[in-house]
Amino acid sequence: MSYPRIVVLFGIATSIVFLAISTILYSRSSLSEQNSSKLETFGGHTPGYPILTTTGDVIDPMNSVINPKNAVVDPMKYLREFNYGRVSTSPNGTVIRDFTLIASDQHTKEVSPGVFYNVWTFNGTIPGPTIRATEGDIVRITLINEGTKFHSIHFHGIHPAEMDGVFEGIAPGGKFTYEFTAEPFGLFLYHCHMQPLEEHIGHGLYGVYIVDPKQGRPPADEMVMLMNGYDTDFDSENNFYTVNGIPFYYMHHPIQIEKNRLIRIYLVNMLEFDPLNNFHLHANLFNFYKTGTKLVPDEYTDIVSLNQGERGILEFSYKYPGKYMFHAHKTEFAEKGWVGLFLVKDDKNESVNQSLNVTSAMNNTSYSKNNFSNVTNIVPIGGYK
Amino acid sequence: MEREESKSNIRNTYAISKRTILFGVIPIVVIGAMIILLLNSPGMLFQSTIKPLPEISIEKVEFSDRGITAYVRNTGPSNTTIAQADVNDRIHPAAVEPSRILTRLADAKVIIPFVWNTGEPYKIGITTEDGTRFEKSVKSAAPAPHPTPQQASTFAIIGTYVGIIPVMMGLAWYPFIRRLSPNKYNFFLSLTAGLLVFLGIDALLESNEIAVNALSSAFNAQILIIMVAIITFVSLLYVSQRLIKRATNRSKPEIEFNTGYSSHTEPDLEVSDTKSSTSFQRQVMIRPIAISMMIAIGIGLHNFGEGLAIGAAVLLGEVALSSFLILGFTLHNTTEGLAIVAPMAKSRRIPITKLIIMGLIAGGPTIIGAWIGGFLYSPIATVIFLSIGAGAIFQVVYSIGSWMYHTNGSRGLLNNHWIIIGFAFGMLIMYLTGLLT
Repeated sequence: MSYPRIVVLFGIATSIVFLAISTILYSRSSLSEQNSSKLETFGGHTPGYPILTTTGDVIDPMNSVINPKNAVVDPMKYLREFNYGRVSTSPNGTVIRDFTLIASDQHTKEVSPGVFYNVWTFNGTIPGPTIRATEGDIVRITLINEGTKFHSIHFHGIHPAEMDGVFEGIAPGGKFTYEFTAEPFGLFLYHCHMQPLEEHIGHGLYGVYIVDPKQGRPPADEMVMLMNGYDTDFDSENNFYTVNGIPFYYMHHPIQIEKNRLIRIYLVNMLEFDPLNNFHLHANLFNFYKTGTKLVPDEYTDIVSLNQGERGILEFSYKYPGKYMFHAHKTEFAEKGWVGLFLVKDDKNESVNQSLNVTSAMNNTSYSKNNFSNVTNIVPIGGYK
Repeated sequence: MEREESKSNIRNTYAISKRTILFGVIPIVVIGAMIILLLNSPGMLFQSTIKPLPEISIEKVEFSDRGITAYVRNTGPSNTTIAQADVNDRIHPAAVEPSRILTRLADAKVIIPFVWNTGEPYKIGITTEDGTRFEKSVKSAAPAPHPTPQQASTFAIIGTYVGIIPVMMGLAWYPFIRRLSPNKYNFFLSLTAGLLVFLGIDALLESNEIAVNALSSAFNAQILIIMVAIITFVSLLYVSQRLIKRATNRSKPEIEFNTGYSSHTEPDLEVSDTKSSTSFQRQVMIRPIAISMMIAIGIGLHNFGEGLAIGAAVLLGEVALSSFLILGFTLHNTTEGLAIVAPMAKSRRIPITKLIIMGLIAGGPTIIGAWIGGFLYSPIATVIFLSIGAGAIFQVVYSIGSWMYHTNGSRGLLNNHWIIIGFAFGMLIMYLTGLLT
């Protein structure tokens, strides 16, 4: 007589079990509703890693380009863009350079593919425009504050206290002209000095300021590299590291340089939160001019470490054509975006064969042409198209 | 007489008239109108300029030769888009299936081609469009079990060792329990209660742990645990009382152990008495087999949850299954069999087939749980089943408690030191054998 009870209870138990199974299956079913119209390949940047196809969306910051409309900066344009200002001459013959910087803090831009961040900018980009003058010039920078908060510009270099941009903030809608003589020659930076500094700098209010020596430097292919990071989730740790504003950008857009030509990099560390950043050049060494205030190099090396706000000038040239990586040797930074490639193009007068002969002669190693091209085709991190 | 009149009045008022319907409908109409007003007045009311913060839950991470697959769900208040994926805080290319745009509570698979190392811990990160990163830690990477016949039979063997064998071994104590004196019998009954209280608390803590670690706050999972446990408790209480009452009414002669306030072996209580007595007295009528069956079901639900947890732990790489671990579970669960047979000790002899059925009800769900947990892991389902198990177990403890209270005569529960010692001892046994797992 007690069997019906067992049956009833067992029935309840099993129905609960089946309810669970169907719940789980239902929750999984949404995964199977896939759009099979497109099939994309992804992965394979790292040798030996699986290359897969998917019907879903591929997210690959090492290989995707941000729509220029949303991008926080065009790193390729920024790389070699030097702003000399509107030039005039004072009655006594001094060169006057006028610049206008517009501060804003309300825009949201794409800092890494698919990642939108409230950027605070000078002239709409992170980093702000590179300002360049020659030692002894009068530099006049008009700051227009189109933001909602107080902002200022604090330049590194020698200038009077009232031009230091620390105690006088420019109110929203306000305007102020900083004026000083460009001195001494060297590599400097500028940034907003309103407090909290971490907030104003972390959001992107900074840029590079170069003062050339009067006699100039030897002609070279010059470029600016500003190392920064973005703490997009406000936990006082950077989520992305970049050189020139967008992570991995120079992986899919290698910087093209010529073989044997002198390259000069103005390297500035604007990284927040992490005390140290560095720059490592592959398969080469460079002359390093700390802060760029001397014309003789301080060091001949392939790696340089810079604290927050530190900078220096790098000079080198590549002997062999091919792709060469440069990146932070702090691998975390590299694998979160601070990595790029130089594409060294062969001298037009020389053929590939000649350069290869030079290679084997110099290194006492015999590379076959095939080996060499194989080697150049392997990219350790991040692919290229 | 007055009373009856008023009762009939009330009954009249309760009759569903058009006015009743009207009174019921008015608030609903008002709420509906308010919703329409709120939704159709853009810019007029509560238009927030602040975009709500996104939230992504990484519910499961699987390791395979394809790389690492994270199962994510949008548990935030609005739609969100997955921007990037990382392994150990290093950004990697990935694919999101079916789409990187996730509507509220929608889920997706994020596949990261990655050569991982067995046994190493990993942190999988998902960054949403606003730059917020969500992370899930995996203690030890292990290949995800696939529903192959081989893996299924492995889980079945584990389930048999952990669920069925120990319960059956516990059931084998039945003849021993039958030969005990009342005091020692009380000791074993309260020992059972102790074991079960431990299991119930264990299930609640475990479900809470999963709720905190694997489920987003959007599910309100901690409230769900308490809710499910209470609902299970009261509904099983209702079901068991109904069944017992029916069985009692139908088969009076089968009642052997209903002495209530007198000694342990006196037979029979008049059915008419039962009808007129309070629910308090009716509790006395609980038949031992019914209690045992309820315990078996409660433990079955518990073991289902345990099976889910074991399967999931294997899947999530949190457990390296060793024979020592299985041994621990086996010893731990042997006590469950004891819990089932203890209430039946003083009743009529139970046929062995019935014992085996109870053993299967209590132990078998472990295998089903391990299959589901290992092949189709779902944290929400695990939490719900552990809570059901907890509710069921507490209901059983209640039944044992009231059973002992009434069979123990006027002495009450807490005046018998055997009961207190047994209860404490039961929990202690569970704690000590639990150290092995």
